[in-house]
Amino acid sequence: MSALDQIGELLRLVPVQRAGIGLVLAALGLPVVGVVIVGLDIMPVRFAMMHVALLGIAVGELLGVDPVLCALLACAAAGAGVAPLARTPEALSGAMGLLMSLAIAAALLVLALSGVNANGAFALLWGSILAVRPSDLVVLGTLAVAVPALFVWRRRDLALLLHDRELAVCSGVPAQRLTMLLLVLVAVAVAGAIRLTGALLVDALTLLPALAARRLGRSLGAITLWAMGIGVLVNATGFLIALGWDLPPGPVLVLAAGAVALVAHLLPERGASSWRVLDAASHGGAPH
Amino acid sequence: MVALVPGVRIRVAGRWNRTGDRSDYCRVELSSKQPGQVATRSPDSEGGLALRLRDVVCRHGRLAAVGGVDLDVAAGQRVALTGTNGSGKTTLLRAVLGLHRQVDGEILVGGRGSRSAAEWAWRRRACAWIPQRPAAGRFPLLAHELLRSSGDGGQALSAAERLGVGALVDRPLSSLSGGQLQRVHLARAVGCVAAGAGVVLADEPTAALDFAGQEEAAELLTGLPVTLLVVTHDRAMAARCDRVLEMAAGRLREVG
Ligand SMILES: Nc1ncnc2c1ncn2[C@@H]1O[C@H](COP(=O)(O)OP(=O)(O)OP(=O)(O)O)[C@@H](O)[C@H]1O
Ligand SMILES: [Mg+2]
Repeated sequence: MSALDQIGELLRLVPVQRAGIGLVLAALGLPVVGVVIVGLDIMPVRFAMMHVALLGIAVGELLGVDPVLCALLACAAAGAGVAPLARTPEALSGAMGLLMSLAIAAALLVLALSGVNANGAFALLWGSILAVRPSDLVVLGTLAVAVPALFVWRRRDLALLLHDRELAVCSGVPAQRLTMLLLVLVAVAVAGAIRLTGALLVDALTLLPALAARRLGRSLGAITLWAMGIGVLVNATGFLIALGWDLPPGPVLVLAAGAVALVAHLLPERGASSWRVLDAASHGGAPH
Repeated sequence: MVALVPGVRIRVAGRWNRTGDRSDYCRVELSSKQPGQVATRSPDSEGGLALRLRDVVCRHGRLAAVGGVDLDVAAGQRVALTGTNGSGKTTLLRAVLGLHRQVDGEILVGGRGSRSAAEWAWRRRACAWIPQRPAAGRFPLLAHELLRSSGDGGQALSAAERLGVGALVDRPLSSLSGGQLQRVHLARAVGCVAAGAGVVLADEPTAALDFAGQEEAAELLTGLPVTLLVVTHDRAMAARCDRVLEMAAGRLREVG
């Protein structure tokens, strides 16, 4: 059976269809979240949220409340909680590291108290794209709409805020509220994505497209569009390759996204000379 | 070009663009507003807002960078702030904008304090800022996005054109030279004033400019219908101002 036949065959299966839809939805929302992560310089957020989510699960088990819901709420609260630290650019990154250590310690303590096996708790956190449920698709769909919508609605404020917080503050941008909203969004999206796709895939879906786009775009708008485009392209090709050659989708997607990011970094940067050419072309070389 | 008696200002058309055509900047600026719009858009600042500082102390940790500054600037007055490096000029300006956190004392702009978030929002609309060291920026920002952040992108853009950086507005700020970036910030300040700012706080706005640019910028800033507080080491700029203050080790004194 050729790879194409196999893809056609597999795509008739409901879990595979769901996985495909999930990946497309994820590709629309998560790369934009990645742009925020790169913009706020909070790369450790994934590890921090993993452990905050674990703490949420532990608390949920202890109280007998839906652990996954608790995990999402804990992440949202943690995102909102670190927002006041965003006043200086360096503070947030450090805060994420601190948050991670504190969350691990607290989670282990609560797990010990509640007598829940830590591995069992982690398993709740660790999803797979082929086990996506309809309720997960709702979460992904909401992110796919809400995140790009926020970026369209507040594009000027966001461009200023991600460039320089002080300039944004002086331009009337509600920096504090907007930062908190972004951090909550990042926290929930990352936690949700880990649950849906496994921790490894989160990088492929969020950070890698954003890192590639950061090299290709010259403004927030351009970077955001590049990130979404790369996300959709990588997810679609990676998923089809995985289906056609019977490979596990997670690693294939990560490798595909990583390859794109690598290529973007190897491309020569558009330097000063090309700007000069542009100026000369549009203004007949008028002196400035 | 500008005859001045404290409180009374007679402005003759200023020649501040390099190409040499005369332009009455202020008239253009003010007549571009709809009469009805002024009340809603501007913090009531035609001709500038008064500035009043009482016993202002600003600390960096334990270091008191500004120590007990009293200052009254009348609406529309232009004040040059000079002084040695590290004497606290930048810190003082940032305190007015609420960018410096450890501030004691009283700062009033247009008679208004800054107790609530709404008052801070008003303060920042009322005060245009030209930073001494524009941030490198963690994410790219296009020059026209910076101009638009003034609140009146149209006026800021045409000011950029007159300052010779109109062709650069589609470029990211990181690709501009120091002087070009400073010109864009000057143009942004013009946009802020058009959008209703009554005070311009300019922190060494001509430090990166060429000789002609220093002239243009001095003429532009002193010609704006606002209260001007400009930190400068440039004698020509200081000469155009109504008052010259000198700062030394966090204290302020009048020198002319
Ligand atoms: N972020 C900071 N942390 C600690 N100290 C600072 C900080 N910024 C400024 N200072 C100190 O505060 C004092 C005042 O600095 P400020 O920038 O206000 O000086 P300035 O008068 O603007 O100097 P210049 O003419 O060089 O621009 C200096 O002694 C400086 O070293
Ligand atoms: Mg300074």
